[in-house]
Amino acid sequence: MRTRQHKWSRPVFAYLAAALILVYLSYLLPQLLPGDFVTAMYAGADVSLNALQEAELKAYFLDNQTFGEYLGNLVRLDWGYSAAFFAPVSTLFFAALPWTIVLMGTAHILSSFLGFFLGVEAAWRRGSLVEKSGVGTMTVLEGIPEICTGALLLLVFSLHLGWFPAAGAQTAYAEQTTFQWVLDVLHHLTLPLITLVAAYFPGNFLLARAGMVMVLKKQFVLTAKAKGLPPGRVRYAHAARNALLPLVTRFGLRFAFMVTGALVVETIFSYPGLGTLLFNAISMRDLPLIQGIVLFASLMVLVVNLCMEWVYTLLDPRVSHAS
Amino acid sequence: MHTVAATKKTVKHSVTRHKKNIIQIGFHGMITAVLLAVVFMVPDLYAAKDVRASDVRIADSKGDWGYPNPYRHYPRGPGYVRMSWVFDTLVWKDQKGYIPALARTWSYDSDKSAFVFTLNPGAKWHDGQPVTAQDVAFTIAYYKKHPYQWVSADAVDRVEVVDDHTVVLYLTEPYSPFLSDIGGTMPILPRHIWKTIADPRACDDPACFIGSGPYVFKDFNKTRGTYLFEAFAAYYQGPPKNKRLIYVRTSKPLMSLATGQVDLANIQPDMAGPLDKKGLIIIKNERGWNKKLMINHKKTPFNDRVFRQALAFAINQQEIIDKAHRGFATPASYGLLSIDHDMYNPDTPKYRCDPQKARDMIASLGWTSGQDGFFHKNGHPLALELISSSLTVAGESVADRDGEIIKKQLTDIGIKVTLINQEQTTTDSRVRNWDFDLAVSGHGGIAGDPRILNEMISSSYGAGSVNCARYDDSPELNALLQAQIREMDAAKRRQIVFHIQEIYARQIPAISLYYPDTMAAYNKDTGVIWFYTKGGISKGVPIPQNKMSLIR
Repeated sequence: MRTRQHKWSRPVFAYLAAALILVYLSYLLPQLLPGDFVTAMYAGADVSLNALQEAELKAYFLDNQTFGEYLGNLVRLDWGYSAAFFAPVSTLFFAALPWTIVLMGTAHILSSFLGFFLGVEAAWRRGSLVEKSGVGTMTVLEGIPEICTGALLLLVFSLHLGWFPAAGAQTAYAEQTTFQWVLDVLHHLTLPLITLVAAYFPGNFLLARAGMVMVLKKQFVLTAKAKGLPPGRVRYAHAARNALLPLVTRFGLRFAFMVTGALVVETIFSYPGLGTLLFNAISMRDLPLIQGIVLFASLMVLVVNLCMEWVYTLLDPRVSHAS
Repeated sequence: MHTVAATKKTVKHSVTRHKKNIIQIGFHGMITAVLLAVVFMVPDLYAAKDVRASDVRIADSKGDWGYPNPYRHYPRGPGYVRMSWVFDTLVWKDQKGYIPALARTWSYDSDKSAFVFTLNPGAKWHDGQPVTAQDVAFTIAYYKKHPYQWVSADAVDRVEVVDDHTVVLYLTEPYSPFLSDIGGTMPILPRHIWKTIADPRACDDPACFIGSGPYVFKDFNKTRGTYLFEAFAAYYQGPPKNKRLIYVRTSKPLMSLATGQVDLANIQPDMAGPLDKKGLIIIKNERGWNKKLMINHKKTPFNDRVFRQALAFAINQQEIIDKAHRGFATPASYGLLSIDHDMYNPDTPKYRCDPQKARDMIASLGWTSGQDGFFHKNGHPLALELISSSLTVAGESVADRDGEIIKKQLTDIGIKVTLINQEQTTTDSRVRNWDFDLAVSGHGGIAGDPRILNEMISSSYGAGSVNCARYDDSPELNALLQAQIREMDAAKRRQIVFHIQEIYARQIPAISLYYPDTMAAYNKDTGVIWFYTKGGISKGVPIPQNKMSLIR
């Protein structure tokens, strides 16, 4: 019992310490950005402020809270107030989060399942023309950045063919039924989703294939085949499960970097998620909003890491024995 | 025994086959679902399109410009324009100049140093209350207590309410930009609402968005960057043409316009031809925005006028236009005011590109040409840092391509240039703190009221702006800037403004580079004829979203 408690308490303390460090960094780093909200908002504006007006605005908008106050507010679940949007940071954050989850979550799940399934099938058919051409294509696709895929998709499917909208997550203020709204959201989601899947899928495919090729050489796979088990069962129940760990790690890491990963695609397609919100917050030096999103993004890395440790032991009991 | 084993094997095989079938059905189902979704989504099946008939949609690449009331909109043109749909001013502008708005007539009484405004008796607030002279008097008093960032009410000494629809504004001292600032920019507030509001910036009550403009504010979605305005049927100049006005955030305004997502967007000049062929209407603005080179004239060697003039001679404006803008721009006047301005001085000193003359001028300051091709003095090369960054032009972020060319031109005459590309706020912050040598910058308003000269030259007027040269070293220039603000006679003011341009160009505390071609395109099917306002909306906003487009 004592050993068990010790086994769990050590990582928990380590994670708590890391969380505290991240909270401090989320407080400190945004403050190191050159300029402040009043400079960002007024310095290049069509309004010319005199020195008195500028001082008055700085006194009104800039809130120089200490780390103690920041931490205290966080404990009280007070994320602060956005100077640029005139709204609580939490309200803005939770309004943007669902869109990021819809886009990034769907992209991760789709690309992971597709990558896993096709990677396993390619490894099973190792040496065939399909496998060779698949690996070649995926290696090329892996090298194409999201910004390039996004721009190409926009050019072809939005500008030339006119099939999909160029921006946004839904038609603004359209009077629609729920069904029409769902279709509208899916319609807007298509291009950014394909862009992200095209970015993530090749890596997943190559990783799953490589892992599977190694596993297929193992003795237990030969035993399973020798027992006369159906090929599908050998592939998925025996071999693929053992090749899954690297893919789960990749899924976790990608998911943890959801906010920063979304930034480029959300900006290209004007998708209203956390990436766009962070981009706007940084350009306006909206400190409380930057701090809130940075804190969430960094804590997300910790939480996902913690979850991964648990998932590893479920997928492969050898991991827990090893630790 | 054998039979039992065989049966078990058969059952097991059957279960495996069954599982396999389920997997296959699942995959086929998924593929069918995806295909069906595409079939449903690709064609224009939207019933939503039907409701667009009475909508006007405007593209905006940033999306968020604050809430549309005087205290909560962002201090840039797009923020003001959103507010202008909801709040009216005393006078307004169209393609030709000033037109009546809340004030049906106005006149200046030079003996009393006062402006007399007669209000339109049909004007109503969005809650149905009439707009009266008391509202105008209250607005002035309120702005004195809670200053409005776009204009100062200090120019008004006192207000006399003659009757419900006549109001006299007495000036503190003669103030020539009065009609532009107080008349054409200052939004009038409803007294019955704002008299109880102590902190206007904190007010998010729907009542704080009640104005007398042609549209009623309905929604601002902060996350999506969209705005919804609905037509005010009882608007005193007639009901607006379109029921709903919607702003849509899109990082690709041109693409959104071409695909019919929006009806109006700013465009790059080289796209005018293709869009024209698609049946869109293209409009071009006057030259009201200039790109310029900020100089840190507080620092050696830039504090020497001769050195600044040498920089001007070294820079080839036309080369920047040809190489970085494919010819879609016009070389700027060195006197800051636009060449389209009524008060532009054609005799403003010019610096036709002359690299040899630039070299000679620098040599006259004691710099000698070294073997490395750069000027040297006291063993040090003539080296400087040039900062460039993306700039916001008419609400759109435009990447800088001029820095590279300026660097080459200065290097050619013997100046060692380090080009740094920085994000806009970082550059702004460095310029504000005089932590720079040269910086590429730009601003609008140069086709509007000549008060822009004061705001972009003198620190007394524009200390908070990164575009202001903050140049106070010339007593003659300072005196002229003061004088033009106080001169109510248009002809005399014109002479002073002419003189300011001459001195400014000679002192050259910043170098105006060029006026980029500014264009927009719109869909004529909405029935709206968009236009650029003479001198820009209000104080000079170069955006073709004048509310009169939706009224007439």
